[in-house]
Amino acid sequence: MDLELLFAAAGQILTPWPFFLLFIGTSLGILVGAIPGMTGAMLIALTLPLTFYMDPFNAIVLLVAMYVGAISGGLITATLLRMPGTPAAVMTTFDGYPMARNGRPGRALGLGITASFVGGLIAWITLATITKPLSVFATKFGPFEYFTLIMMAMVLIASVSEGSLAKGLISGLLGMLISMPGVDPATGMPRLTFDWYMLNGGLKLLPVLIGVFAVSQIIKDALDIGQVPERIAMSSKGMLMSVRDFIHQGVNLIRSSLIGTWVGILPGIGASIGSVIAYTAAKNMSKTPEKFGTGSEEGIVASEAANNATVGGALIPLIAMGIPGSVIDAILIGALMIHSIQPGPTLFLTNADIVWGMIAACLLANVLMWLLMTSSVKYIAGLMYLPRSFVLPVVMVFCVIGSFALNNTMFDVWVMLIFGVMGFLMECAKIPLGPFVIGFVLAPLAEEKLRSGLMMTAGDFSPIFTRPLPLLFTILAVILLLWPIVGDWMRKRRLSRK
Amino acid sequence: MNLLKRFEVWVSLLVILICLVFLWESWDLPPGSFEPLGSGPVPQATAFIVILCAGLVILNALRKPVQLSENEGTKEQPSIRAGLIISLATVIYSLVLHFRLMPFAWMTTLFLVITIWGLERFEKKKFFPALITAIVISFASEYLFTEVFFVDLPT
Repeated sequence: MDLELLFAAAGQILTPWPFFLLFIGTSLGILVGAIPGMTGAMLIALTLPLTFYMDPFNAIVLLVAMYVGAISGGLITATLLRMPGTPAAVMTTFDGYPMARNGRPGRALGLGITASFVGGLIAWITLATITKPLSVFATKFGPFEYFTLIMMAMVLIASVSEGSLAKGLISGLLGMLISMPGVDPATGMPRLTFDWYMLNGGLKLLPVLIGVFAVSQIIKDALDIGQVPERIAMSSKGMLMSVRDFIHQGVNLIRSSLIGTWVGILPGIGASIGSVIAYTAAKNMSKTPEKFGTGSEEGIVASEAANNATVGGALIPLIAMGIPGSVIDAILIGALMIHSIQPGPTLFLTNADIVWGMIAACLLANVLMWLLMTSSVKYIAGLMYLPRSFVLPVVMVFCVIGSFALNNTMFDVWVMLIFGVMGFLMECAKIPLGPFVIGFVLAPLAEEKLRSGLMMTAGDFSPIFTRPLPLLFTILAVILLLWPIVGDWMRKRRLSRK
Repeated sequence: MNLLKRFEVWVSLLVILICLVFLWESWDLPPGSFEPLGSGPVPQATAFIVILCAGLVILNALRKPVQLSENEGTKEQPSIRAGLIISLATVIYSLVLHFRLMPFAWMTTLFLVITIWGLERFEKKKFFPALITAIVISFASEYLFTEVFFVDLPT
């Protein structure tokens, strides 16, 4: 770890303007996380256009702070409304809400907030220590290594997404396909543009992102506008965890944080999966598993420690290899590219200040999140009851402004609306949206690597099977692809035997 | 067939249609001259796999018996009216901005009043809160984006 660079970056963040952005980012992230129907991905996608004119360092500080805040804010609605503010907080609803209903909302929120902080901290230590060695290792990757790694990541994302493997693959590969129109970087000729000059530059990430994540969510929320949440009286009693709590929950905290960090590192798997695995592990290892689902403290701690740990974990493949660890990381890659920074293993060499800024921002936002949430969760909770009829149209205006601002053209607004409808329809058919965006971001890189690899070998695909890493990634991809089918077949066989 | 299965079938058909259009368009792409692969094979292979997966989803939807989830019967009906209001208003708003028929702040005020009030079922007592919110948000955001963030607006 380059402590000198880390301290320098932290020092820079603690100067007035970057610190103000860190504060605004964390606060907005928490607020958005606490408003049902609004997600961190939505907030970050809408904020991207505002960062065009910012210094890249400040832009990244703002976006990372939003990321940390949004994942944490989701626990407020999960606990008080049984409605996860962000998908990452789903598991928190199982125990947070029953505990809050039993008259201990402060305790439930306090456990969640501190577990989030500890999870974030443990993941940050991993982020700060292993990212650089991993990026040095990744510099040895050739085109075939990269191509097979991306393919493995896509299969992994598809296989763990909500719904079936086929739906995950549809989403990821459709995202890849949609990214292909435009001028072919290898030949310089337009392709898949349907002779329409507006498509020569290809479809831009920002309008697609805003459409898929924000507009589709607005339509969905408008359809659910009749749902009125049940109010729970908020009290801050029991908000701070005692030393005894730390001793009692220590193993659970560390285990869940490590699970979250590991899940975060795996490409494309977000916080939701991390919290599910940590929750299940906590339940299986608990002395009182029967309490899970009825207000178990262990359940809240496991879920929140893990989902916050995925933030730091997911930043590792982003910085070291340019592969997004989650949907929000895919947006962060887009943000880096907007600022002409190429994510990937050479990032430490070309933009060390940005990398260490990102790492330092992750830690400082985590600390700020803990301070803000423990001190003002009572007031933030009031925001959950903001009428959606007022929030949704305002967010739609920001979607239009955000898309327009990219190139000052209404074409991007129409692209956003089309992808909004498409995202909504995909959600209706339970086709996950995460793989779509990750596929969209990774496709150009995957194609570039494959084609440059084939140029080096004069069209010979054999290095995929003769070189150790591409072979390993290919075998893993095949296993991941076949696992659901084999698992299903084995389950059926077991049932028929019974 | 329940609603989810219907959506699965129709959305998969839409996906297949999109892929067929891409396949059709990629068919005429010239083969690579100085590089072995060329522009066509990657989109073609991708579209082909998506078609296969969408076909699988359709087959599954038609084959598997309908399974109602626990709360499907009791779940509150979606407000189609609210969905239509916000969708239609957004399309009209974008059209007006596209053809520059009205200045941004005024059009945004109109859009916000109509949608907020519409989502509140045009209740009389909600009109003024909607109007005040609309005016404040529209003019404040115009000022904020143009003067503070230096972002151009469709005006």
